[in-house]
Amino acid sequence: MEEIRNFIVDYIEREYTIPGGTDLDRFNYVEEGYIDSIGLIQFIAVIEDEYGIEFSDEELSGEEIKTVGSLVKLICEKRDFYMGEGC
Amino acid sequence: MRSRLADLLYENAVKTPDKTAIYCDGEEISYKQMANLVSRYSNLLLYLGAEYADHIAIPMNNSIESVALFFTAAELGVCVVPLNPSLPVEAVRTAMLSADVKHVIARKAFYVQCEKNGGIDIPGFAICLDKEYPGTVPFKTIDEMSNFRPEEIHDISGLESLILTMTSGSTGSPKPIDLSQDNKYDRAMAHIRVYNLTKDDRILAATPLYHSLAERLVILPLILGASSILLPRFTPALWLKCAEDLKPTFTIVVSAQLAQIRELLGDSEENRIGSFRSIVSSSALLEPLVKYDLIRILDCEFHEMYGTSEVSTVTDICFQKDKRKKNSVGKPFDEANIRILRNINETTDETDCVCGEVGEIAVKSKLQCKGYYKQEEIMKSSMAGDYFRTGDLGYLDEDGYLYFFGRKKELIITGAVNVYPSDIDTVVGKMPEIKECAAFSYPDERLGEVVALAIVPKEGAEINLHAVKTYCARNLADFQQPHKYFIVDALPRNAMGKLLRMTILDAVRKMNL
Repeated sequence: MEEIRNFIVDYIEREYTIPGGTDLDRFNYVEEGYIDSIGLIQFIAVIEDEYGIEFSDEELSGEEIKTVGSLVKLICEKRDFYMGEGC
Repeated sequence: MRSRLADLLYENAVKTPDKTAIYCDGEEISYKQMANLVSRYSNLLLYLGAEYADHIAIPMNNSIESVALFFTAAELGVCVVPLNPSLPVEAVRTAMLSADVKHVIARKAFYVQCEKNGGIDIPGFAICLDKEYPGTVPFKTIDEMSNFRPEEIHDISGLESLILTMTSGSTGSPKPIDLSQDNKYDRAMAHIRVYNLTKDDRILAATPLYHSLAERLVILPLILGASSILLPRFTPALWLKCAEDLKPTFTIVVSAQLAQIRELLGDSEENRIGSFRSIVSSSALLEPLVKYDLIRILDCEFHEMYGTSEVSTVTDICFQKDKRKKNSVGKPFDEANIRILRNINETTDETDCVCGEVGEIAVKSKLQCKGYYKQEEIMKSSMAGDYFRTGDLGYLDEDGYLYFFGRKKELIITGAVNVYPSDIDTVVGKMPEIKECAAFSYPDERLGEVVALAIVPKEGAEINLHAVKTYCARNLADFQQPHKYFIVDALPRNAMGKLLRMTILDAVRKMNL
C-alpha cells in the first residue's frame, strides 16, 4: 500500500511539492489543482497501466478517485480483484 | 549595455525595496528580495559556466523562482526554453534538439522520468530544483551565491533571444517561437499603455508560465514597479480565493477559465471579484451567452482581446465602451495593422477582402516575434509580404472592428492550449493495429474544445480502446490526450486524397457514433 501511495504522490508532485503537514488521505489533488481535468485522463491511464487494472466510467466520474487515500484504496481493491494481489 | 528588463527590476528594487514584487502559493517576496534572488540566480548560472546566448530548458511550474529565471536570463543574455512539465520524454528530446538546449533546470521527477526512458543528452549543466539527484547540482547551492548583481559580462543589445516558446509538442519539426528581450519589453509596454496600468496595480497571472500570456503578465508588473500575483495552479475555486485574499486589480484570463469562474460565482449577490478594475478575456473566443452574462454582472471594465503568440495582442475591445460592437474582438493596437486576405477553396491569395467579407486575418505588428527558431522557411511561408498570416478567419466592419470567424488552420485549442492534431496522428498511428487515425476538435462546454480521435483499424484487426488510451497516456502530453475515441471505416478525404480534418466531426455525428 505504501508503494502505491508513493507512486501516486510522486506523480502528483511532478510540478509542485505538496505542503508538509497535509493530510494525504484526504488530499483532493484535483480540487487543489495539482492535476487538472485534462491531466486526469493521463494520470488514470498511467495507473491502469502500472497496476494492470481498469476503472469503470462511474469510478472515473466519481469523487473517490480524486483523493489520494481513496484512490490508493480503490487501486488495492482492484488489484485484489484482478490478480488476487491486493495490498 | 545591460539588459533593459533586468535594469528596470533593479531600479524598482532601489525605488521601492520593501514593496511586494510577487505573491505566489502563500509566499510573497519584496522587490529587494527579488533583485537579490535574480543576482544569486545569475551568479549561480555564471558559476556553473553559463555563457551569453546559451539555451536553458526548464519544465516550468508557476513559482517565484521561475519568474526570477526570466530576469536572470535577461541579465545574462541567455535564453530560456520553457517546457510543459507533462511532455513525454520523447517529446522533451525533440524539443531540446530543435531549440539547441545546452543546460537543464528541472525537478527530480523530470530526471527520474528521463532516466527510466533512455536518458537525455545534456551538454551543459543540470540543476535539480527540489531534491538531490546524481549528476545534477542542487538548486539550494544558490544560497551560497552573492546577493550582488554580477558585473556586466556581455553587451546586451535587446535583440538576443530571451524565450523560445515551443508550439508543437511531440513529433515533426516543432516551431519554437523566438522572442527577444526587446519583444518582451515592447509587448509589456503596449499592454501597460492600452490597459492604463500603473505601479499601483496588482496583476494576476493564472495560466502556465510556459505560455507567453503568463510570461507577459509576470514580466510586466516587475518592470513597471507594480505587484504580480502568480497563481501556482488553476482551479476556479483557487482563482476566486486568490481574488478575495490578494485583491488583484487587473488580469488577462483565458476564456475557458472565465467560463468556469462564472459558473462558480453562481447567482450570489456577494461581489467576490470587486477588487478588479479590469478583466480581459483572451486565447479563444468567449461563448456569446457567457460573454453577455459577464457584461451584465461584472462591476469592472471587461475586455476581450485577439492575438497569436507570434504577433502578440492584435486587437482589444472594452464591452462597456463599445456597446454596439459586442460581437467584435475590437480594434487594432497602435502597433498592429490588419489585412483580411481573400480565401478561396482553402487557398489564401494576397488580395484584400472588402468590408464584411470573411478571409484570413493577416497582421503586421511591431510586436511580432523574431521568427520561428531555425525555421526561417516556415516563417517565410506564413507571411504575405510584411503581414503574418494567422491561420484565423475573420472580417473587418466599416469602422475597422475585427470579427473572428473561426480557424483555417487545423489547430485544436483545449483550455487555451494549442494542440497540433498531426502530432497526435503521428504518435498514435504507430500502433500496429491502427491503419490510420486523425485527431480533431470536439466541442466541450468546460474547455471550449477537447481532442477527439477517429481511428481506422487495420483489416482484420480489433481495436482495444483501453490499450489505445494507455498508449496515449505514455506517449502524449496531458493536453494532447484524446477525450473521445471513434472507430470508423475510413477518414474523410477530398478527391486528391487530402484529409478533411474539419469534416470529421460532422461525419462521426452523422454516423451517430
